[in-house]
Amino acid sequence: MKVSYYPGCSLEETAAAFDLSVRQVCDHLGVSLEEVPGWACCGSSPALKMDRLLSTSLAAHNLALARGQQAEKMVIPCPFCFRRLLSAQQETQAAPETREMVQETIGAELDDSLKVLSLLGFLRHTIGLEAIGAKVKTPLKGMKVLTYYGCYLVKPASVTQYDDPEHPISMDEVLEALGAEVLPWDFKTECCGASLAVSKTDTVCELSGRILREAVYREADALVVACQLCQANLDMRQTQIGKLHGTQYQLPIVYFTQLMGLAFGMSYKALGLGRHLTSPKAMLKSKGVLQ
Amino acid sequence: MFRLKGQIEEKAFLDQVMERSGQNLLQCLQCGKCSGSCPITSATVGGPRRLIARIISGMQTEALKDPTWWYCVSCGTCATRCPVEINMYAVSTVLCEMAAEQGIEPSEAGIHLFEELFLKSVEKNGRVKELNTVVAFNLRSLRPFADAAIGVKMARKGVVSPAAMLRRGRRDLRVTRIFQKIRQQQKQKA
Repeated sequence: MKVSYYPGCSLEETAAAFDLSVRQVCDHLGVSLEEVPGWACCGSSPALKMDRLLSTSLAAHNLALARGQQAEKMVIPCPFCFRRLLSAQQETQAAPETREMVQETIGAELDDSLKVLSLLGFLRHTIGLEAIGAKVKTPLKGMKVLTYYGCYLVKPASVTQYDDPEHPISMDEVLEALGAEVLPWDFKTECCGASLAVSKTDTVCELSGRILREAVYREADALVVACQLCQANLDMRQTQIGKLHGTQYQLPIVYFTQLMGLAFGMSYKALGLGRHLTSPKAMLKSKGVLQ
Repeated sequence: MFRLKGQIEEKAFLDQVMERSGQNLLQCLQCGKCSGSCPITSATVGGPRRLIARIISGMQTEALKDPTWWYCVSCGTCATRCPVEINMYAVSTVLCEMAAEQGIEPSEAGIHLFEELFLKSVEKNGRVKELNTVVAFNLRSLRPFADAAIGVKMARKGVVSPAAMLRRGRRDLRVTRIFQKIRQQQKQKA
């Protein structure tokens, strides 16, 4: 199956591990990811905050770039890019005035036939659990994980139209298909502090700290994420948060695609697992997932 | 104490926010589900319920200086839980635009600076250079060594490379043009 692929800026830089695992897992599942030619930033949270027309135009510019690919679906791993591009499509569909202004700003015509999907939704629903389960070589038996979806993937449901905004289950289902045990908890869609990481680090340490503390309390072997911003906040700030809590955290924060790759028999290094600041290696070895 | 005098100007601000954001704030029940759910509401950041109350009451200056919308990370939790489906991040955008149009000094200078530097990087390169933006922010905020320990760890793991940071980004003229167009339109409006 051929789909249009929009990786987004983070996956090119700090979250290259996510991109690496996504590409390999998709390839293994027979999905050919065709990168949107010359894609640009979706505007992310700064454009959304500062200028509505700029935000919608930047996102729509990428939708227009994908037209030439003639793909039915566009798959986006980054939850923020996913929500922005999908929202731009909805905004320009709903209001002819906005559509005209955006088209004039980007100097291109929009076409609404493209189906914008999050990577998680695509793997869970389009590819399906059966196809994923059939590729499992090393089941993740004995691994107790917590799933953490964050905000942008599922909220607000009026935009994302995907899974339940308070209690999503698609990632749980994928991980169970890999043989892992998914633990219950109430923090699936709590906020990690997102883009305030640099300008308001204290806020992020407080918010991500609550999530870490609860995950450790639940005795999870790993926290599994689908967003690179959540991954960065929960992984990179562990030492800092540990100091605030008077303890030391060593909780691996891994992408669901990395666990898919491991279960499919791909190597630790190729999946970018060596790039996380809190190394998941010892945990994976103790569970027999890694030799 | 703030009192409404029933003057027409008091309603003008509310009307403008509602029209530009597409959110019917008059439906707000002041139930407080939003502020109770909001990750950034704190002792110093009032939260969406109070912000809506300020807008409805025509407290324009207070609303445009409210730190809530600067802190807003557009997580969408309030929009998800609001019984009348008000989307507050759409309101945040409008307040940010209005504050800029009226030349009101950002109440959260740090958040504003980061967002400006981020967009500058996008305007120049088409894609954001994340690490360069973070470094520029830390330098401009006079805290050059903030997060240096994390940076060193990342470099050691091969997550970041100083060489890549020094490399010039490719220009993307189509994106630069989008920014220019928006600026022209803003000028025409003004």
